[in-house]
Amino acid sequence: MEHYPKAVKTKDSTSVVIRPLTQKDAPALLAFFRALPEDDRLFLREDVTRKDTIDRWIEQLDYGKVFPMVAELGPSIIGDATLHFNQYGWHRHMAEIRCVVARAHQKKGLGTILMHELVSYAGQKGVDRIRAEMMDTQISAQKAFQRLGFQKAAELKNFVIDIQGKTHGLVIMVNDVSDLWKKMEDLLIDYDIRIEQ
Amino acid sequence: MMTTEIKFGGFGGQGVILAGMIIGRAASIYDNKFATLTQSFGPEARGSACSAQVIVSDKEILYPYVTRPQILLVMSQEACNKFLPETTDDAAIIIEEELVKPKALKAGMKLFSIPATRFAEELGRKMVLNIVMVGFFTAVTRLVGCEAAREAVKASVPKGTEKLNLQAFDRGYEYGMSLVQGTAAPSVQ
Repeated sequence: MEHYPKAVKTKDSTSVVIRPLTQKDAPALLAFFRALPEDDRLFLREDVTRKDTIDRWIEQLDYGKVFPMVAELGPSIIGDATLHFNQYGWHRHMAEIRCVVARAHQKKGLGTILMHELVSYAGQKGVDRIRAEMMDTQISAQKAFQRLGFQKAAELKNFVIDIQGKTHGLVIMVNDVSDLWKKMEDLLIDYDIRIEQ
Repeated sequence: MMTTEIKFGGFGGQGVILAGMIIGRAASIYDNKFATLTQSFGPEARGSACSAQVIVSDKEILYPYVTRPQILLVMSQEACNKFLPETTDDAAIIIEEELVKPKALKAGMKLFSIPATRFAEELGRKMVLNIVMVGFFTAVTRLVGCEAAREAVKASVPKGTEKLNLQAFDRGYEYGMSLVQGTAAPSVQ
């Protein structure tokens, strides 16, 4: 946590601060979600416009279970990305990433900045794979995840419904973080073992 | 003219050669100096100890082999036992303190130790131990600049791992700086 808060710049040179969510952020987080147009809330899993939803998140804040990173512009939150860990079971090597950016700040690379931060954090926490789930119509999100090293692992047709009741395919994308570190391990061994042969 | 002979030692897979390569790259590409790197192909390399020899100089290096290292960086006891006798009487000895207990240090030698394994584990990847050592080396020897070394780390590690590797570098560098603050840097030349 010593690297936060961190100042970053979006593509249009807006200076934004990114940092982990804290308990003091409840009002700003609720305001952020309530300001999202319905189109941007179509695919969210919980009713984030409800105060009790946000209060529950804040009350249960535990970075070991969910690591939430927010982007702040002045007093306002303009982006929220979360990394969900599994502490037990057959998904314990895997974390799930989710990200939402305020409409006015979309397409400026802010989502990528937040997700890149969480992908790096996951690597530090020993996570081997990061999963991202989205609906098949979220094409720009799929492209953003691709740029971060995610690949489409599966698509389940007519699998989920949005908040308007419309059915969509579910796309599951996976970033194999362990591949990165396998490359590092291979590099260390390659150089060192080569001289032992 | 200043020429410094350095030996990096450890066991295979610790990233000994990569550490040497990063320092050589920092000096030659990012710090406007000259550097050579040689690796051991002789019988000494067939055991578990492996080593890299780096020379850093202000002018062209005509003979690339290290004969008497003025700096020894070791990450295993075996490498320390093996390479310590080769060093100069006033060498700077840089060790991973949980893995190495140096024996028979000469009076003029300067010992710099760091719990690099613990730092690497705290960062979440034990394999960045060598990069913590590179940061520590950079701080205590001041042979290459911090920014040059950071750039060399970035250029040497796999894409996607730069951030954690740089954190590992910074951890070692900061620890090294806190250690040498108020004390003279090792005068190796």
